[in-house]
Amino acid sequence: METFTPATQTELARFIAGNAGGPRRGLYPAGGRTALTVGSAGGAVNTLIDTTTLNRVVDYPARDMTVTVEAGIRIDDLQAILKEQGQRLPIDIAQSSRATLGGAIATNTSGPRRAGYGTFRDYVIGISAIDAAGRLFKGGGRVVKNVAGYDICKLLVGSQGTLAVISQVTLKLRPLPETSALLWLTFDTFGEVENALERLLVSDARPVAVEVLNAACARLISTQSRLELPAESPVLLLGVEGSPHEVDWQIEKLRREMVPYGVQLFEKVAATQTAGLWDALTEFPTSADEPATFQANLRPSRAMEFAQRATELGVAVQVHATTGIVIGQCPESVATIEQTTELLAELRQLACSASGNLSILHCDAEWQAVLPMWGAAEPGWPLMAQIKRKLDPHWVFNPVRFGDVSSPVESSGSRIESQKD
Amino acid sequence: MTAASTPTARVLLDRLAAIVGPEAVLNDPAELLVYECDGYVVEKKCPDVVVFPISTEQVAAIVKVCNEFDVPFVPRGAGTSLAGGCLPIGGGVMIALTQMKQILEINLRDRYAVVEPGLVNVHLTQQLKGTGYHYAPDPSSQGACTIGGNFATNSGGPHTLKYGVTVNHILGVEVVMPDGSVVTLGGPTEDVPGYDLTGLFVGSEGTLGICTKVTVRLTRDPAAFRTMLGVFETIDDATQTISNIIGAGIVPAALELMDQGIVSALEQAFHFGFPLDAGAVLLIEVDGLEVAVEEEAQKIISICHTTGAREVRQANTPKERQLLWKCRKQAFGAIGRLSPSYCTQDGVVPRTKLPEILRFITACSLKHDIRIVNVFHAGDGNIHPILLFDERDADQVRRVLEASDEILTKCIDLGGSVTGEHGIGVEKISFMNKLFTADDLAVMQQIHDCFNPTSRCSPGKMLPTSAGCGNEHVPRATPGRRAAM
Repeated sequence: METFTPATQTELARFIAGNAGGPRRGLYPAGGRTALTVGSAGGAVNTLIDTTTLNRVVDYPARDMTVTVEAGIRIDDLQAILKEQGQRLPIDIAQSSRATLGGAIATNTSGPRRAGYGTFRDYVIGISAIDAAGRLFKGGGRVVKNVAGYDICKLLVGSQGTLAVISQVTLKLRPLPETSALLWLTFDTFGEVENALERLLVSDARPVAVEVLNAACARLISTQSRLELPAESPVLLLGVEGSPHEVDWQIEKLRREMVPYGVQLFEKVAATQTAGLWDALTEFPTSADEPATFQANLRPSRAMEFAQRATELGVAVQVHATTGIVIGQCPESVATIEQTTELLAELRQLACSASGNLSILHCDAEWQAVLPMWGAAEPGWPLMAQIKRKLDPHWVFNPVRFGDVSSPVESSGSRIESQKD
Repeated sequence: MTAASTPTARVLLDRLAAIVGPEAVLNDPAELLVYECDGYVVEKKCPDVVVFPISTEQVAAIVKVCNEFDVPFVPRGAGTSLAGGCLPIGGGVMIALTQMKQILEINLRDRYAVVEPGLVNVHLTQQLKGTGYHYAPDPSSQGACTIGGNFATNSGGPHTLKYGVTVNHILGVEVVMPDGSVVTLGGPTEDVPGYDLTGLFVGSEGTLGICTKVTVRLTRDPAAFRTMLGVFETIDDATQTISNIIGAGIVPAALELMDQGIVSALEQAFHFGFPLDAGAVLLIEVDGLEVAVEEEAQKIISICHTTGAREVRQANTPKERQLLWKCRKQAFGAIGRLSPSYCTQDGVVPRTKLPEILRFITACSLKHDIRIVNVFHAGDGNIHPILLFDERDADQVRRVLEASDEILTKCIDLGGSVTGEHGIGVEKISFMNKLFTADDLAVMQQIHDCFNPTSRCSPGKMLPTSAGCGNEHVPRATPGRRAAM
């Protein structure tokens, strides 16, 4: 596959316009290449668009708590600039030294802190992008409150590079908290964890992360962060941030609240290891190459049930418990595409029965054309296909990626019909 | 739309009556008068008929009939729109959602509620009292406005800096599309695979369809509050204070600023004991853990004094807190004693540009000889200049429109927007060409045409209907756009 690396947004627009008027190759926007699901179908006639040179800071009025940057900026570079002003984008993004802002937004990447701070749709207030015809267009603006026009920001967050190349973004920011702490709690069963989660709904504390790991995941995470904490049963991780006073107060509160719920161990992670543990939790979705990593979305009340079943199937799971998002790494024993399909089908059905779905984050490039990457058909997909056909009528952007949802010609393809409850 | 007495019209009315029942169809001219405008009173247009469905099926059937008869239709909640969002351009059928006002489900474990669009905003939070959760978006009109209306305009309110706007609290929606089909977008779970169509539909001002069920996120109640009121010599002192508060890493839950004009009206009406010569009064609220808000409040009081606050009042009980908020919530009520009519503008500038826009508004007020008072959500730069006039005086009306236009144009020049929360509606369509390029608008028009190709659903809203020859801003010759087509 060829690569095109524009030096400016204008150059990028011109290139895409030229492509639209001429060869109409498939275009694959790429940032840090940490979450690419490129697919091999189409091969050499497609072009990778490398956005990493579009990395300038356009405007950073720190007192407004907003920043405008080009989308190819690496997450670490962005956070370093913000840190100088005591601010941050409070979203956990894996492989942040490589990942770009545009890529993170296109994949709607998130991590443990989504419990306390939300996700990209809560932080992107302005966006510029180039459509398949090479038009540079924008939505939103530079201010945190703005309802003029359609919410293009929301349309592009999570659009997986199938509608446009994101070229510039304005973000809302938050202050950097003084300190953070992580608590490691072990339980015997997922049932006990569920009871603890229900108690946490009205906790006096306000944890910013509520993570449940099964033993397989806990082992991976504690190895990764060089912790020596028990990882033989479900682990509940609670993250708190704020002033030292706030953090200490919350730890004590949580200790008292959790004790009656069968906690085997309640341990505050050492200060020297906290950052490493946050990182490990953030990296989990990308830390396995094979065979497949998925993300399930379901009702929080059903997440423990899902985690239980996934555990029985050998999957390592990380649950963002307040939002019902489950990241699962399939075991290496599930080596063939048939086995993977079967395992994912069962878990997808379970997720659907819990009003959710299951999509694939990473898998072998050859499997991507065959596996339902985007999960079971959602009621909104026909509308999604309509927008796609309107804005990218020649199916230029990430053509393979859109395969689940629709093909250029109206057909049902190999979609899995929704079994949603 | 032809007059109500023609045979076609009669057939249409009969068909509508067959769907919702004859008592839920209004077409007597005297009764329709109530619906001739919303909060944007300078433009009036009566719909030809108003219907009151009570179910999604009825709404879908009404929309299908409108399509069959090639008649425009517009949804309406409580009619609190300040931008003409409910104006029935071209007449047609107004679909009033006020009878669909049930709370269908409250799920505390999964932290969502499902409500009908006609539910009054504050009723949801009232229903949640005691659960430890509330519905966060609380526009100032929340005692009247509906969830459906909030959905259509992506409503804000005083707490958006910390808690976000309506779209950040909507998980899913059931929509009757402009062609009458019904689709469910999003749902009770997050990260539904596919495009965030829910997010796209929020704030679409009724141009992409009509919402008939909304799934909203519930927000954990803050543990504690600290509410303070700073009295300042000048607006600049107040805005500098805001800047310093943000600079100290504090994100207040609310930061409401009122200028001398509002303060004196409030004093006359309610006798809060404010000095009449104070340039500005700043209501500041922080929320969070008890231990955190106490620390933050002390910092804030210290900052206020550093920037020269004349006094800082602090609420020490829930009752005192209510009293401090009263002066903000009664502000619009107090304006009634200042003039017979008023026009509330809604613009946004980056917070650091607040002093500049306020100086500009003062200059504008002098230039056009129109009194302007200011109350606004200072935390997020959302300004609400209130232009005072007598709508019976055509020249005053003209000057109000000119002054409004100049203020909004200045907002754009300062890097802001022409609407922070009220929407474009009808009132600000002429600004879309100034905010957005032709390409930006072309993409939005494509999205519109995807779902509303005939423009029967909410015609004449939000998007300029013609591409325009050049992008020059054509000043309005008459109040707002032409309402009758």
